[in-house]
Amino acid sequence: MSKIEIKNLTVDYVEKRKSFTALKDVSFSIEEGEFVSVIGSSGCGKSTLLSILEGINSPTSGEILIDGEPIKGTGTDRGVVFQHYSLFPWMTARKNVAFGVKQVNKNASRSERLKIADEFLDKVGLEQFKNKYPSQLSGGMQQRVAIARALAMDTDVLLMDEPFGAIDAKNRTILQELLLELWEGDGTKARKTVVFVTHDIDEAILLSDKIVMMTANPGRVYREIEVPFERPRNRAQLVQTKEYNKFRNKLLSLFYSDIAEKIGGEEVVL
Amino acid sequence: MNIQAKTAAPPAIAFDKKEKTASNLKSEIIRRYFRVVHALFVVFMLIQLLPDKLASDTYASYAIWFAVGAEVLTLIVSALIKKPVSLNLFVDIVAFIYGLLIAWTLATAKFNLLKPALFPPPGKVFSQFIEDYDKILVNVQSSIGIILQGYLLAIAVAVPLGLFLGWSARLGGAATYISKFLGAIPPIVYIPYGIALLPTFRSVSVFVIFLATFWPVLGGTMSGVMNVEKKTIDSAKVLNVNKATMLFSIMLPASLQQIFIGCNQGLTVSFVLLTSAEMIGAQSGLGYYIKNYSDFGDYTRTIVGLIVVGIVIVIISFIFNSIQKFLLRWKPA
Repeated sequence: MSKIEIKNLTVDYVEKRKSFTALKDVSFSIEEGEFVSVIGSSGCGKSTLLSILEGINSPTSGEILIDGEPIKGTGTDRGVVFQHYSLFPWMTARKNVAFGVKQVNKNASRSERLKIADEFLDKVGLEQFKNKYPSQLSGGMQQRVAIARALAMDTDVLLMDEPFGAIDAKNRTILQELLLELWEGDGTKARKTVVFVTHDIDEAILLSDKIVMMTANPGRVYREIEVPFERPRNRAQLVQTKEYNKFRNKLLSLFYSDIAEKIGGEEVVL
Repeated sequence: MNIQAKTAAPPAIAFDKKEKTASNLKSEIIRRYFRVVHALFVVFMLIQLLPDKLASDTYASYAIWFAVGAEVLTLIVSALIKKPVSLNLFVDIVAFIYGLLIAWTLATAKFNLLKPALFPPPGKVFSQFIEDYDKILVNVQSSIGIILQGYLLAIAVAVPLGLFLGWSARLGGAATYISKFLGAIPPIVYIPYGIALLPTFRSVSVFVIFLATFWPVLGGTMSGVMNVEKKTIDSAKVLNVNKATMLFSIMLPASLQQIFIGCNQGLTVSFVLLTSAEMIGAQSGLGYYIKNYSDFGDYTRTIVGLIVVGIVIVIISFIFNSIQKFLLRWKPA
């Protein structure tokens, strides 16, 4: 049994009396401990898909099973990192993480929660900034706190919705490597199952075991591609190999052929 | 040679530093102590030398002691205060008070431009204040007691209710419109009901202040909750918070700024209502003190009452603002 099974998911929105299909008949599955990226151009429904996984939205038809159980609303078995503002501005970095821990572990005492928070803030390199409010932190630092919170909650599944999308190129690289390092771990603990939404192909290759490419109007799965590179991965070494460039070009051509098909299909004359 | 150079260097640096701090100190002293406020103090002392034009005693010594006290306080505060902005604010306020005292002394005691019965000289007001100190304290306590009771009770009820109704209204409900209608009724019109239902002046006052605070705080809380951004709510939802946590740990802090707007409005209206009510029907309180003595033509005490009301309101709003600033310290500047 797969960890997550997405079965015939269809989502229709009604906006100004016009119905609009965000996802149509989307099916794929994710194994336990697998890092899966969902990529696609804007409007392909990748964020809608994630919001259903989060439990914030519900599908028009079809279902998602986690460990064989259908998702009903939000749950503490899934940790989430959004692109913006998943932190509460009135809590310090430390309190934000501790608050997340409290929601999954009601029995932990205050001091235990703060200890866990400190441990994970250390891991993301924010020892010095524990008592700062989000407004006093840069965007990159805020995402570090959000990642620390999701990891500190120690959920089986991590859902990340373009977590580095709003961060400058240099910091994005640093954060990708941090996430890779934290997720790969030292081999002593089982890896978490991750669903990672992005529109950045390099990011998807570096991080994932499998890439699910989606296509828009309506949102469907276009291709599922296994990423063949061994772990632990090192970006600097990886990008120099021939295999990497070959794989990247293959992905890019798939990505653009999808767009070309669509333009052809709608008989647009260039 | 090498060693010599090493030993020679540090004193030179130290000397340079010393000179720098000395010039810093000089500009620091000028910034802190060479102020218009001190010149105004001197002017105030000098005008005391002019001959009095009033037939009755002007109690000038009280005014002089007041000014000396204010000056000593200013010097102490100037030495202790850290932020230049706060120092400027404090010094400007004291300068304003001196300016007022100078004009007041000149218009009354020194040139007798105003009717002495209606406008007593400042010294007389200060001496009256000291004489009536105990009586004033009792009246201040009475007024503040009523306000705090009605006000705090209203906040304790309105905030949780507002969180709950706001949360329901977000999901689409009539709560908003009902509260807008009830909130639009001026609280003073509840007074007849209060008198009919409640036995004492005090209980009616608490009731009216409760209502005067309740509606703005309820409205503020509800609109605060309704304006919380969706992403904040989604962030809380994915943490799977229960309803109580959602209301009190998420909605409450997220709408705090709007709640404070309601609280501030409630406080202002409460003071206006209470002092007016005390002037009409009470046997104690600041409004009573002012009205009672003005009925007897004692305008010295009326002015004492006015000044005390002003001071009480300034202190309360200072405390209110400090609480607000502390609770909203996480907001970006």
